[in-house]
Parts: sequence; C-alpha cells; structure tokens
Amino acid sequence: MTVRILVVDDHPVVRHGLRTLLGAHPEWEIIDEAADGFEAVDKADRLKPDVVVLDITMPKMSGLEACRLIRKSTPEAEILMVTQHDSPHMMREAMEAGARGYVVKSNASRDLLAAVEAVSQHMPFTALNQRSAESD
Amino acid sequence: MKLRILIADDHEVVRRGLCALLQAREGWEICAEAKDGREAVEKAAQLKPDVVILDVGMPNLNGLAATRQLTQHDPHCKVIVLTITDSDQVIREALDAGARGFVLKSDAARDLVSAVEALQRNRMFFTPRVNDMVLAGFLDRGHNGSSSEPPRLPKLTTREREVIQLLAEGKSSKEVACLLNLSTKTAETHRSNIMRKLGFHSIRDLVVYAVKNNIIQVQVPAPFQNPTEGSAA
Repeated sequence: MTVRILVVDDHPVVRHGLRTLLGAHPEWEIIDEAADGFEAVDKADRLKPDVVVLDITMPKMSGLEACRLIRKSTPEAEILMVTQHDSPHMMREAMEAGARGYVVKSNASRDLLAAVEAVSQHMPFTALNQRSAESD
Repeated sequence: MKLRILIADDHEVVRRGLCALLQAREGWEICAEAKDGREAVEKAAQLKPDVVILDVGMPNLNGLAATRQLTQHDPHCKVIVLTITDSDQVIREALDAGARGFVLKSDAARDLVSAVEALQRNRMFFTPRVNDMVLAGFLDRGHNGSSSEPPRLPKLTTREREVIQLLAEGKSSKEVACLLNLSTKTAETHRSNIMRKLGFHSIRDLVVYAVKNNIIQVQVPAPFQNPTEGSAA
C-alpha cells in the first residue's frame, strides 16, 4: 500500500536522516518536508498526506500545537511524533493532542518503520526508550 | 585513497542524516559511527579516521571532552564539533579543546561538507559568529595588550571533567568507577577533589555547574521553550 508521508523537523540533517530511514520501504513516498509547525499545518492541509512524521520541539509553533491543528483541518492524516523527549508525560500530551504514534529519536532506526506501518493502518504505536509499550 | 570519517551523535536519525550527506560525496567514506564520546574516542584510537565529527551534547562523555581527549592523544587529530548553540562559552571550550571545525546542527546540511573539505585541506572551518569572536579577541588583545576573556574556570583534569559529567547524569560513585575502569575509592577521591576545587557542598551544585557549563544538556519540554528557539534535534 502506498503511504504518502510529510516529514516535519526544524533540522535539515534530521529530515535527511528520516528520509533515509523511510526510504527503506519501497512503497512509501515522502511527498514533502516542513521545518516548523506552521509550515506543517499548511502543507498537511494542501497535500493531504496519509502520515505526518512530526517533531515536537520546533520554532514558531511546537509539534503539539501543530498536531492539534492538523487533527482539525486534516482529520484523515495520522500523526506520528518523532521526538527527543523520552518521557511518559510528553507522550501522554502528544496522544491527547491527537497523535496516533510516538517514537523517541534515539530509537528511530528501531521503531520508525514499524510505527509508520502501524499508524498508516490507523493503529496506535508508542515506544519509549528501554520500556516500550508497543501496540500490535 | 578515500577520506575516512568517524561520526558521533547519540541520535541514530542524526547519524543517518550525516551519513547520507557525507557519503554522497565521492571519495569520502564513513569508517565508523559512535553513539557517545567514549565510543568515539575508542573507535578513533582503533581506526585512525582522517576526520572526526562530534556532537557536543552526548551522554557518558560529551563532544567537547571527547575532543579534548582526541587532541591530547593526537594533536593532529582533525575534529569538527557539531552543536545546537554557538554561545561564547561553547565556542571557547571547543577551540580550547582543539576543534578545527565548528558547525551548527541547524546548518549542518549546508555547512558540513564545506567544513570537511576545509579540514581535508588542512584548514579550519568556523561559523561566522566564531570567526567574529576569534577576531574580536585578537583585536582586543592587540589594543589592550591583554585578553578580555572572562576568568577561567578552576583547572580540572580530563578525568575530573569525565567524572563531573557522569555524576551530573545521576550516576553513583560505584557506577562512575565501573564506567571508567577505576576502583570505587579512586572515583570517590575524584569526586571529593572536584567538590573541593569548585567549592561545592552538594551534588545539586555540581548538576547546576554541569548544565551552566554545557557539560550536560537538559531537555526543555516544548510548551515551555522560547518559541523563537530551535530544538536540540
């Protein structure tokens, strides 16, 4: 199944890394990138991705705020948070904001593909460092 | 012969981005990756890379301490420091540690290839802000006959810097001893010496010192972060 993905992170080198990891899946397509929350909301609204891979700590508008707005404007897009925050509290906030999945950046190579696979099928996926709580 | 590069960053996704960026360049190869400064120092000793790229904010041994160890071991070691901030203090520490390149993480996609090229030609590469700071320091010395640098921090040994980071990360003396292959008694002696030199009476003082001096970096939750600032990747 083709999955159209929007990658959002304020650091180009991280977007580059996410592209490289996601590129391992032949049927997934990175349709665009965004460097902050505002750009993410705008591009999600225009491009209607299946999955938005969204950083939390970004300038102008945080990923949490962008997540809430994307859920309103583009409810069909599933949101996967990919963040440095290895914290149950932050994970809860992200899920309350409407994210379907949560992956810690330091574990991205282990969790990212499985997480995109899950959320693209509207299944939750959450995994913190050490203690993981993956859904099936 | 290929230029061999070692990359150290605690985030796998950043390493993937750096690898993709650098491997696209013909004649360059990533000879090793490391997820903290200690692993970087070990791998550099084994593999003798031509260029080492070190993130500043890494666990166990941060990039600045790792730079210091690498350049102490081999003064010709070519290190590029990757950082989220070009504050005066980080710049000063990086230069003092012997880094020959200084690149902001937010600009890595634009500047890193140029930085590696510069080091390949035995030159240095700094951000405009570092260049300004170095020039200002030079001119200031020229005019006043003395440096305007702030007072230097108490003289700490390389080992003491390592111990500070580990203690500030919450490790016990026993854990510090285990990580550094020391006896617990020696680790405790380092700890007492550090507290005495810095005039501290509690670990809390030490943690504050480590944060203020970029020995460790703390995560700031997004809702409380200054909206004009970027993330730590």
